[in-house]
Amino acid sequence: MVECDFPECRTFGSVIRFALELEKGAAGVYEELANEPKAAAAAEAFRALAAAHKKRGELLEHTRQQKLNEMILEPIQDMDGTRYIIDTKTPKGADVKTAAGFAARIEEKSSAFYLDSAKIAKTLMAEAARIMEKLGKESLANKAKLEAM
Amino acid sequence: MTEVKKNYGKLQNYVNGEWIESTSGKAIDVENPATGEIIAQVPMSSADETKAAVEAADEAWPAWRETPPITRARVFFKLKELLELQFEDVARIMVQEQGKTIDEARGETRRTIENVEVAAGIPSLMMGYNLEDGAAEGIDEDAVISPLGVFGAICPFNFPAMIPYWFWPYAVASGNTYIVKPSSQVPITQLWLTKVVEQAGFPPGVFNIVNGSHEVSDTLMEHPKVKGISFVGSTPVAKYIYKHSAENGKRVQAQGGAKNSLVVMPDAALDRTIANMLASYYGCAGQRCLAGSNMVAIGDIADPLLKRWVEASKKIKMGYGLDESVNMGPVVSAKAKAKVIGYIDSAEKEGAKILLDGRKAKVPGYEKGHFVGPTVIDQVTPDMTIAKEEVFGPVVSFLRMGSMDEALDFIHSSPFGNAASIYTQSGKSAREFRYKCQCGNIGINVGIVAAMAYFPFAGYKDSFFGDLHGQGQDAIKFFTDRKVVITRWF
Repeated sequence: MVECDFPECRTFGSVIRFALELEKGAAGVYEELANEPKAAAAAEAFRALAAAHKKRGELLEHTRQQKLNEMILEPIQDMDGTRYIIDTKTPKGADVKTAAGFAARIEEKSSAFYLDSAKIAKTLMAEAARIMEKLGKESLANKAKLEAM
Repeated sequence: MTEVKKNYGKLQNYVNGEWIESTSGKAIDVENPATGEIIAQVPMSSADETKAAVEAADEAWPAWRETPPITRARVFFKLKELLELQFEDVARIMVQEQGKTIDEARGETRRTIENVEVAAGIPSLMMGYNLEDGAAEGIDEDAVISPLGVFGAICPFNFPAMIPYWFWPYAVASGNTYIVKPSSQVPITQLWLTKVVEQAGFPPGVFNIVNGSHEVSDTLMEHPKVKGISFVGSTPVAKYIYKHSAENGKRVQAQGGAKNSLVVMPDAALDRTIANMLASYYGCAGQRCLAGSNMVAIGDIADPLLKRWVEASKKIKMGYGLDESVNMGPVVSAKAKAKVIGYIDSAEKEGAKILLDGRKAKVPGYEKGHFVGPTVIDQVTPDMTIAKEEVFGPVVSFLRMGSMDEALDFIHSSPFGNAASIYTQSGKSAREFRYKCQCGNIGINVGIVAAMAYFPFAGYKDSFFGDLHGQGQDAIKFFTDRKVVITRWF
């Protein structure tokens, strides 16, 4: 189980915080899955995914720190974050198929979150929108790889 | 909701490269406006302590002036690097002592650092100019830009990090030395930043902090070794600072209050307009000199705009700014809250209609916080107090007018001239507005006209007393003088 604290998505900062929690949750779950004995054949793939999600977190932190100014601090209304909350309770004793299926659901929710956020970010900051879209597409590609495992 | 520290204890002054406890024996509490907790004690330094800081800055000046601009710039590059490492802590401290949201505080921290980045370009910014045979045949003429000595800033509560950085990086990069008096309501952020300044490697006495109130300010304004004063605050105080400093032979730039109108034309893109205006009226709980205050609807957009505005305003989430999902924090103090409520009361008494009332706003868990909810007042007329005076709170006065010219007449009837914005899809309307509007900062579909570090910032009329604005090239001019050298070789 990876502890995450998903905020309500009402501000640009809270959307980024939500994304950071997603990345932390995904990386943590993948590290746990990499240590599951029955899923040992996929351990390297899960470790690589965990590392990739940590790197995505760094990118998001950088965006929040370097790009924010008051001209883009418009409140975000009507974004229901609960739709994107991922399950971070790693299944114990999972084999490769179960583990990959669990991870694919994380990537599916992540991609939905990023692609929806990209639409909102587009009106605030083009660069944030581009980053979100990139992360959403990456998650979709990850999902496809996991489903093929 | 991690606080950097629960309590920052008894704060000190930073003079001549040392942290010094004030000997005045007087101090006041610094309160977290969201929780009501006391988080520090700030000293009320004496005139003698201020004079000692001026002497230290004056002694440091000759050597700093002789330090080549490129070497001075390197210290600013180091400062920028160190500030980046402290970015999140600076933002969190700001939330804790001022009440703004963490997003707003991060935005302010970024703006603070941007001023350091721009000042680091001093070798280019400070170049003079010359003309061969400029005086006559065989006689060349040069204009050399020189620093002047000791400068000081008297700072407000609403931007604890950024506003001192509108001034001192430019002054010090130009070869002057500096004394900052932070607002006694929000001194912690500036002291935290000064610990970073200390690490960057400025020689002792080049940058100093003296905490206190008017005794410090008056001493800075009256001391013969202080060459100029920068101030940001209310108009009555700005007037006093301007007059008193000028009487004492200082250069002055004194930024005062504001009463900003946002004009919504019938062709405005309503969705985007509303989202943008929410940030203008409710950002920093309305405690910005660039905040929207009057909303002027032109023609038949008034009713649909107002309906949607009230709906959107109701969704603003208030709370402790360290909660990332919060849209708006408290105002800075109980006194500030009482003042804002007084203005809403006066509007009601003068016949306006309160559509959304933030006077009794409560945030569960933060009952001691100084929260005022988003407030929307309809049927405001230009003669009402609420339409004329600076409220400095999350209060929207809604006015209906027939044309842009009527709106401009209303804007120009105000003694203030800080900022005004227009929301329109028409290039012609936008062009006309920016051409005619007599304010120092104009927004076209932008509700917060926040000038970047490399542009000047100040208002017109009673919003600014002085000539040269803050930031950018204006700042360099304020902190330097032009010396003409005419050369002839026999």
